[in-house]
Amino acid sequence: MREIQLQLNQTQKLRLQKVLETLESQSSIPNSDSSVTISDSISVNHEDGVLKGHGTTDHNGEVVATLCGIVERVNKLVYVRTLRSRYKPEDGDIVIGRVVEVAQKCWRLDINCSQNAYLMLSAMNMPDGVQRRRTAVDELNMRRIFEEGDVICAEVRRSQHDDIHLQARSQKYGKLNAGQLLTVAPYLVKRQKQHFHHLEKFDVDLILGCNGFVWVGEHVEARDVMVEDPVNLSDPQVLIPNENSVSLEEQDKNYTALETRNYICRAANAVRVLSTLGFTITLESIKEVIDLSISANLDIHDMFGSEFCVLVAEKEAERRSSSKRKR
Amino acid sequence: MKLKFRMYSVVGMVGLSLGEQHFIQGGIAQDLRCDGRKRLTYRPIHVETGVIPQANGSARIRIGATEVIASVKAELGKPSLSQPDKGKVFIYIDCSSTAEPAFEGRGGEELSAELSTALHCCLLGAKSGAGAGIDRTSLVVEGKICWDLYIDGLVVSSDGNLLDALGAAIKAALSNTGIPSVKVTAGAASDEQPEVDISDEEFLQFDTSGVPVIITLTKVGREYIVDATPEEESQMSSAISISVNKKGHICGITKRGGAGLDPSVILDMVSVAQYVSGKLMNKLDSEIASAEAEDES
Repeated sequence: MREIQLQLNQTQKLRLQKVLETLESQSSIPNSDSSVTISDSISVNHEDGVLKGHGTTDHNGEVVATLCGIVERVNKLVYVRTLRSRYKPEDGDIVIGRVVEVAQKCWRLDINCSQNAYLMLSAMNMPDGVQRRRTAVDELNMRRIFEEGDVICAEVRRSQHDDIHLQARSQKYGKLNAGQLLTVAPYLVKRQKQHFHHLEKFDVDLILGCNGFVWVGEHVEARDVMVEDPVNLSDPQVLIPNENSVSLEEQDKNYTALETRNYICRAANAVRVLSTLGFTITLESIKEVIDLSISANLDIHDMFGSEFCVLVAEKEAERRSSSKRKR
Repeated sequence: MKLKFRMYSVVGMVGLSLGEQHFIQGGIAQDLRCDGRKRLTYRPIHVETGVIPQANGSARIRIGATEVIASVKAELGKPSLSQPDKGKVFIYIDCSSTAEPAFEGRGGEELSAELSTALHCCLLGAKSGAGAGIDRTSLVVEGKICWDLYIDGLVVSSDGNLLDALGAAIKAALSNTGIPSVKVTAGAASDEQPEVDISDEEFLQFDTSGVPVIITLTKVGREYIVDATPEEESQMSSAISISVNKKGHICGITKRGGAGLDPSVILDMVSVAQYVSGKLMNKLDSEIASAEAEDES
């Protein structure tokens, strides 16, 4: 997603400055020792023997940082962890990817990482729900399940041999249909207990992928879109690519309802505003932004105005300080 | 009518899924686009003038996340033999590689040529100079000397609707242009080069009251939208760019896209463009005025 730059007038700039200073003072970790920039030397006990990890190098007998970030120490390993970097998949991460290629027995997906990920045919539930060996016929029919360009939600499996493998065995994973995909910086989505959210008040599904892809769309019950009925070709909900000969009038009736669409666009703009301001994207912060915009009676597109962004920043600072006081 | 056709646009270089395409088309049909805009609403427009001090005039325009810079350089030259009473204007657009990965190396050349041609058509009128938005007769100094305007546009960030942004940037750059006043020493022989004295102090502001704005209307399904994002552009069947001046007159029309359009549809799109141009012209004029005021302070 391209960056939106805010045009703030003088008072708004001062307010935003104040908010950022408040947030900085609230952050609990004393970072003075552990944050380094390039060519800072890292204090290390040389007698113990030290393993120099990523982001460090040996310079004149001293361990020197080659990246800007925070020094992490694990037993004898010393490495520098950058704050903003490409997404690195960990086991069990929920990610959203877009299919780039349909290969033999697997799909290749783009997950906003340095490499593409693989989703093996055997790591997917079959449409008829039966657990069986995948046959040659299944391989030939892979395009009926996922095609190039499809948006898929999956989980990262144990990464082996430098490849990233995904699995989508549960009902909650699979193809995502009615909605929009947003791209934010990966460091803004932290790993949490729940990544699938259903905003009941608005009937909107929200999936926060750890790789920076966020999906906002219509609510789907139990994700049974996989169930294919070859006889039922005239049903436009089953988006079988090659037989999509639906007329314009029929398509009109199948568009997302205007009210749901309203909420989907509002939630999407909330994510965009949070990403512009650089705040972590969580369910609470998104809900706050949506409530703030509804209470201010703002049109959905006016959420990009500079005044609203400054208000969001102030509200976020307030929320963090109040949650800190509760603890 | 078979609506299914896959668009491999610049978006992600793979394209959108059918579900996303359906969502975008539905949004346009229901007058609520993906970012909450109505069909005829522009994204926020920001103007800065005087960004290139060495040029006679320059401007940077941001429409949403699309960012373009335009600069105007004036040099003395001779009028062409076919049009001795007019100065010359050259428009050249460059799509920077930083705007899109696809523009790397020579990838952006095709788009740059297309944009330059469209801008020529919209702003400079016919070859004879009739009906042009930019008045070239004001560029003539004396019989044998005229000003040549070299207008350069640079696309810094591409997020859809490049033509409108470039048109607006050129309009802003021309408002910012100061042409030095020239004194020609009298008494030179008719076949000799006359001596000129170019003043460093006095500048004449270029008259931009006749310069049009360009509105691009993208047709998706049965409706037209203004200021399309790359995702919406990938769903278009055709697009028409119309340049309208302050009086509401059409200065140029360009059509893009493969689908054919019924003439009644084109006339309808032209009237919609006229309606939108009024608001856009006022917005641009006020933004340019405030940018110039800030520039001076």
